[in-house]
Amino acid sequence: MEAQKAGPARSDNGAAAGDHTAAQPSESTPSTNGDGVLLQVRRLKRFFPVRSRSARRTGAQIRAVDDVTFDLREGETLALVGESGSGKTTTARCVVRADVPSAGEVLLRTDQGEVVDLAHLSRKELRPFRAQLQMIFQDPRSSLSPRLTVRDIVAEPLLVNGVRSDKERSDRVEEMLRLVGLPVQYMNRYPHAFSGGQRQRIGIARALALNPRLVVADEPVSALDVSVQAQILNLLLDLQERLGLTYLFVSHDLSVVKHISDRVAVMYVGQIVELTDTETLFTAPQHPYTSALMAAIPVPDPRVRNTREALPGEVANPADPPSGCYFHPRCRFATEQCKTEAPVWREIAPGHQVRCHRAEELSLAGAGDL
Amino acid sequence: MTPQTPTTDATGPATLATRRDGAPLLSVRDLHTSYFADEGTVVAVDGVSFEVREGRTLGIVGETGCGKSVTARSILRIVEPPGKIVQGEILLHRNGTSVDLVQLPEKGDEIRAIRGGDIALVFQEPMAAFSPVHTIGDQIVEAVRLHSQLSKQEARDRALEWLRLVGVPRAKERLDEYPWQLSGGLQQRAMIAMALVGEPRLLIADEPTTALDVTTQDQILVLLRDLQDRTGMAIMLITHDLGVIAEMADDVVVMYLGRAVEEAPVDALFHMPQHPYTKALLRSIPNIHAGHRTRLPIIAGSVPHPYERPNGCPFHPRCPDAIPGRCDTEAPEESQAGDGHRVRCHLMGTVPHDGSANHGEVMT
Repeated sequence: MEAQKAGPARSDNGAAAGDHTAAQPSESTPSTNGDGVLLQVRRLKRFFPVRSRSARRTGAQIRAVDDVTFDLREGETLALVGESGSGKTTTARCVVRADVPSAGEVLLRTDQGEVVDLAHLSRKELRPFRAQLQMIFQDPRSSLSPRLTVRDIVAEPLLVNGVRSDKERSDRVEEMLRLVGLPVQYMNRYPHAFSGGQRQRIGIARALALNPRLVVADEPVSALDVSVQAQILNLLLDLQERLGLTYLFVSHDLSVVKHISDRVAVMYVGQIVELTDTETLFTAPQHPYTSALMAAIPVPDPRVRNTREALPGEVANPADPPSGCYFHPRCRFATEQCKTEAPVWREIAPGHQVRCHRAEELSLAGAGDL
Repeated sequence: MTPQTPTTDATGPATLATRRDGAPLLSVRDLHTSYFADEGTVVAVDGVSFEVREGRTLGIVGETGCGKSVTARSILRIVEPPGKIVQGEILLHRNGTSVDLVQLPEKGDEIRAIRGGDIALVFQEPMAAFSPVHTIGDQIVEAVRLHSQLSKQEARDRALEWLRLVGVPRAKERLDEYPWQLSGGLQQRAMIAMALVGEPRLLIADEPTTALDVTTQDQILVLLRDLQDRTGMAIMLITHDLGVIAEMADDVVVMYLGRAVEEAPVDALFHMPQHPYTKALLRSIPNIHAGHRTRLPIIAGSVPHPYERPNGCPFHPRCPDAIPGRCDTEAPEESQAGDGHRVRCHLMGTVPHDGSANHGEVMT
């Protein structure tokens, strides 16, 4: 991503990109990135108003995404992992602008080599970039229209993006169905005639019809049976290798994430608490929440039956997060400092970032220790 | 609170593996339950037999459409029309005699007393168990009074005790709150409390943690084990999650399209699986110990539509070792593979089994 630097340099890029970059100086200083960064998310925030009378008075807000920063490299899979209310889906939605960020930047390097800040584009300005960003959803039942045939579903993005010729669209649909492993003769059937796994394949075909560069997959296998889940995970890996796709993979399931991702960002109450490559995260986690999350996964072997204590308490309320570190009420390593002072997002080893005061001094259990 | 005295000394959760052999509490024999819709008949449960023993946990595992939930509903006689039990016995053993639940009138007093009394049910969605317009306290008190002669005040005290026992913080205030005011984890705890006030001998838990976050799931599983140790109740745990099974069950039944394809003690099931479906299922679970970006071995195809039930062994279209002319025509009989280990597969005795757990291996 040449010439992509901190605030001032960005306005130069902005000029080159015409109206697409809103020239807003960033509060952070994104480090200069090497080649191959497709997307940079900088201090992303998404707050929602709380709908209650008292909240309207006090101006309380749900901090769904609360200062999230990460890079996405070309061709990699970055997983966003967390429990409900962690903000992983909202983050992903902001990245593809299915939702509008309250603050922060989402810098995309376009296929023309320009850098645009998706966070600050109007709907109209966004249009040329939509095709490059596609999404796969959790429930293929509700994300596919029951009234359209498979052909129409997969052809729809083509039509919207100006592929006028019937023949061209039809050929492309056939190509996509072959790509995702669906028999072409099923093209004129409706979604209800397909199994959950096949419906997810249709959703993937639709997402890939426009040759996107970034695919955001939001819990793409969590609604599927175990035996089918593996098929879809393998398909996603194959497609990535064949097409050079970049994935932002949202999941609550660390074992699924282990199979698909190159790097993992663990989220808790709107913040990323740890981000590193997959092997390191699983063998040597540095944040107590990451370690606790791993320990909570039931291991499919009765001989390693779990005897440790469960993580106490519940996920904090993002409308009223605890003081200091959001995780401190549940953390067995919490000190006075953790109760009062919010830890900063910092790099503790090359490519390994964490939001914890005590990261260096703790020796936490990884997946191998369980 | 007065939970039943455990049959042996109270044991901690860590000693579960050594739990005693319980006497049979419920025997399901050759159960068949079908749904008779206009479009056709769905055979949901197709000749399932198993035994639930006192103080033990029986895990029932399977994917969509395997009939695990319908089995539970059949036991409680709450199969909704057009479903019907068409054959089989469900024997509840108590006080030295056995009563066949299949023979009881669905709306009669006897089965009503058994529901919530001898056998209680918790399921995936707690909000479906609670009415949103009554407080948690009122609903639990009602459940207490249904199964006891306690006065209102005594019943309220009992409800409070149970809420505390299942780990609901500020239990006294919660009594006067509405279910929707609680988080998902607390709702699940409250539902478990409501199920247990009748001091059931068997708790049927149908995907009790599927809707929960993984750290909350962990808490609920610990709670269930703890309650079992205190009360000595049996648990029938229905889930699609083999991790939960490994963690909780003493014995396991694997179901596929209405059939119990394999039944075994938990260790044998995971370390000496015999049925091709069980083996394939174990291999295809995403594993936290696998190398990153490794492909999982898959099971070809998907669970067939209920109206398109295969002939012969229901798994044969997806089975890599199916014998043409046999597996696709003839339903396999049950064969014995070890102590308490039963399998329904024509391949039994014809193919050497691999004999070890498959997880952890990296397969391409």
